[in-house]
Amino acid sequence: MLLGGYIKLARASMRSSRWRSLLTMLGIIIGIVSVVTTVSIGEGVKQQIVNQISQRGEDLITVLPGRPLERTGASYLNSFNPVSSQTAIVFGDADYRLVASVPGASVAPFGHVAGEVKTRESSYDKAQVIATSADLPDVLNQELEFGSFFSDSDTSSANGAIIGRTVAEQLFGQNVPLGQDFTIRDTRFIVRGIFEEFSDTSPLLPMNNYDNAIFIPYTLGQELMGGNLQVYQMLVKPSVPEDTADVIASIEATLKKSRGNQQDFSVLRQSDNLSLAEDVLDLLTSLIAGVAAISLLVGGIGIMNIMLVSVTERTQEIGIRKAVGATNRQILYQFMTEAAVLSLAGGVFGILFSLLTNFLLRITTDLQPVITLDVILIASGVSFAVGIIFGVAPAAIAARKDPIESLRYE
Amino acid sequence: MQLLELTEVSKLYGFGDATTVAVDSVTLTVEKGEFIAIMGPSGSGKSTLMNIIGLLDKPTHGDYQFNGRNVARLRPNRRAKIRRDRLGFIFQSFNLLHRLNVLENVALPLSYKGMLQARRLTKAGDVLEQVGLADREFFMPKQLSGGQAQRVAIARALVNNPEIIIADEPTGNLDSAASRVVMELLSDLHKMGHTILMVTHNPELTRYAGRVLFMHDGEIIADEKTQVGEVPELARRFYYMPKQTQEDDLAGVSALMDAIPQKEEEKSKKKASKTKNMKYKRKSKKKKEA
Repeated sequence: MLLGGYIKLARASMRSSRWRSLLTMLGIIIGIVSVVTTVSIGEGVKQQIVNQISQRGEDLITVLPGRPLERTGASYLNSFNPVSSQTAIVFGDADYRLVASVPGASVAPFGHVAGEVKTRESSYDKAQVIATSADLPDVLNQELEFGSFFSDSDTSSANGAIIGRTVAEQLFGQNVPLGQDFTIRDTRFIVRGIFEEFSDTSPLLPMNNYDNAIFIPYTLGQELMGGNLQVYQMLVKPSVPEDTADVIASIEATLKKSRGNQQDFSVLRQSDNLSLAEDVLDLLTSLIAGVAAISLLVGGIGIMNIMLVSVTERTQEIGIRKAVGATNRQILYQFMTEAAVLSLAGGVFGILFSLLTNFLLRITTDLQPVITLDVILIASGVSFAVGIIFGVAPAAIAARKDPIESLRYE
Repeated sequence: MQLLELTEVSKLYGFGDATTVAVDSVTLTVEKGEFIAIMGPSGSGKSTLMNIIGLLDKPTHGDYQFNGRNVARLRPNRRAKIRRDRLGFIFQSFNLLHRLNVLENVALPLSYKGMLQARRLTKAGDVLEQVGLADREFFMPKQLSGGQAQRVAIARALVNNPEIIIADEPTGNLDSAASRVVMELLSDLHKMGHTILMVTHNPELTRYAGRVLFMHDGEIIADEKTQVGEVPELARRFYYMPKQTQEDDLAGVSALMDAIPQKEEEKSKKKASKTKNMKYKRKSKKKKEA
């Protein structure tokens, strides 16, 4: 018999017991939906990070205190050291001055100012307050929607601050709160500019959500923190992209020299950031997907179970088929095809439900899950394989049945 | 021309003390074009012999030549292929697949040959016309009467143009009118040159056969050629029995048990007496109720 014939038989048999087939498929559907959704969320976050990096430019250099990344060779990262970021010392004013002194590059320090933001009516504690230099818009490659960024010359005189979109809406409840004032640590600031919405915010990295940040001049930040401003990262942009390697080398040399030749900091290219993020995300995604795959296993066992029942129920049919000349192999194929079709149908429904889940996630959360063609193909393949693997045993039992006893079975 | 030749064929079930001899050294030749009826009481080994001839079962001992080829020791798959290409089965309980329609049921043996759907359905349609059911092609088996279902089964047995048709009590589940139609159909097939082997309980049906075999305890005790339409002598002798039995006394089970040499007499006696007592009690109860 040809494959089409087996598939027709399988469909007829599934149709004859609709509910049972549907419930059996449900196991596979749940398994496929959970695996596909996890993988697509991971993939979505990865793409957001890639977007962020491409938007900020390949030549952006990140200078971090401590050594969260161990490096061998030119740019190949071979391990991630999560403890270092917890125990690391942070940069101080001197370090910023040293990096800023490197020629041919703009530097934006990120100084962390702790404190609640208050207006006369309300207060807001969810914003990050970042003390930075006038080079920031240039370094981040980000335009202002309204107003203007402060320049280095007026940093000490006027207490101007630039805010992100979220802060404008949450703190002031209006779109263009230019000229409004607020206080941080009893120092008054006036909103002099509002950033355009950052296109690349990633929900899993709240530190990078600059829509919810207030940028104040670096020197003011120093004053607010009593001259003890902690710089948790510096972003450096070479004026000529081709000079990136040179700039990295001179930053490393300068900082190392000031620390008695000890390298307790990291200078990263965007590609390093990317591979770090990809490594961590891949690991996380595969862990969660692995847990989700267990439900696929359970679904497979469900298929095996129902196929065993089906084989027993259809003993007489097997007997008849054998009497009119079906070989053991033909009976084997019939039942294996049935298991595979059942499982594959579950896989297809699972993919459809994943697309729906995907859509719901996109409209209800900040996540931007992405289902790639690879994922769809792998999910179909896996569900087919599950059917074959868990269908073999029941099909073999069916194939080995004795025709005479099967014919007598009622 | 010789179609089948069985030489000293035996079939044993179980082993040791529990061995049962279902077929005991049967030697039989079947010519092409014969219509053979096999008769005998239940448990005489008719069905086992049929299963061996139909290649559903393997003989324990002996040789079986099918069309000049020794098939006694073939593997299951080779046997399946011979069933598919050269044999047709008709069963007492019709054995149609209830999920397929009539046409698909008839075409079933062809589908295992790898014939394309359009061709096999056309062929099945032709055969259905032969058995007079052309207008029932798309009925489901449940929608047919018993006689119609058995004619569909006959069509299924015919569709691969078999060398022998094996019918196991084809009229066992049918009323007399439907039985007649089925038997006339088989008779027509015989006239067209088909070889038919039929197991039956009903001596009336042996009228259609040209040769009647009687089996008893696994052996063929008589092999009689008859004219079509004639009830064989043996059937008359077996089934038109005298009014009085030979034995003047019905001894009962316990007497039979005593006749069998027993190893554990004590135990069985106890059991026997117990069952006896119970029987008596039941009987007396019934009497009281009456």
